[in-house]
Amino acid sequence: MTRYNRNTLIVGLAAAVVVGGVVSYFASPHPDGLEKTQEDLGADQPTHGGVEAPGVVFHEYTLRWFGEGFWGNAAAGVVGSLLVLGIVLVMGRVLRRGKAAASEPRP
Amino acid sequence: MHIGPGFLSPPVWLGAAGISGAALAGSLAVAGRRLDDRKVPLMGVMGAFVFAAQMVNFPVLPGTSGHLGGGFLLGVLLGAPLAVIVMASILVVQALVFQDGGVEALGANILVMGVIPAVIGEGVRLLWRRPVPVLTDAVTFAGGLASVVIGATGVILMLWMSGTLPGSVSLWQAVAAMDAVHLVIGVVEGAASVAVARYVLRVRRDAVFVEPVARHERATA
Repeated sequence: MTRYNRNTLIVGLAAAVVVGGVVSYFASPHPDGLEKTQEDLGADQPTHGGVEAPGVVFHEYTLRWFGEGFWGNAAAGVVGSLLVLGIVLVMGRVLRRGKAAASEPRP
Repeated sequence: MHIGPGFLSPPVWLGAAGISGAALAGSLAVAGRRLDDRKVPLMGVMGAFVFAAQMVNFPVLPGTSGHLGGGFLLGVLLGAPLAVIVMASILVVQALVFQDGGVEALGANILVMGVIPAVIGEGVRLLWRRPVPVLTDAVTFAGGLASVVIGATGVILMLWMSGTLPGSVSLWQAVAAMDAVHLVIGVVEGAASVAVARYVLRVRRDAVFVEPVARHERATA
């Protein structure tokens, strides 16, 4: 891995951890634009069968064992960022390798 | 702006999932050509950053907050296909791990926060190859704003088609209410997109615009 790529990973992940783990703790607790609009319009009650994930480890953006508060939120921000990073890196590598193999020059 | 569980009717969420699924399949098919050693790490950290940024709700109007979408920014920096892949990954993690958005509404959420903004971002991306001082920033700002408002309008259309809006509310009233809030959120999205795009272009221009190099050329280089 080149020095540039390593620095990109370090700086990018640090930004994600600071924003998702720390700054997000100070986020506005009010409903977001869609939730507020649904409330105002009287369209905030589910009217169809829906599926919500069980939320075994996290309850919304709070790690269950840490509870509401700074650390529960920080854990969600850090774990979520790492999960997305990991999934995207793996997908990127797999997709790239598939392509490289396909374009291998024939003997 | 995640549509929660139980707000979309089966035909609507199935239709939205079909469109998003097709877009994602197409993106996966062409992704290999656009990926290289520089693009993959940038794609990963931009995904992590957008996930984190979406957690930061900022106040917009009294009693209302908003958060960045990020799909437009990813479209500018990565191109639409890679942006769709990253946004789909983020939205899947949000729905399955953090109960943000209904599981059956995933296709709809990928459509309004992934596919649509990514395509608009791809349109603006051309300008960043050779940025023109004020124009490129202005168009990027406008594109970010438009991506939020168009996505928000899409959400209302899907709720309307699902019969989730009460009979006393007309479609136009609902669109007006939704777009008014998202116009403000869009201003923040536009400004943030300009700021982050400028920064990333400054530090990793080589990774943002990787010229496609055929394998045999790379081997002899």
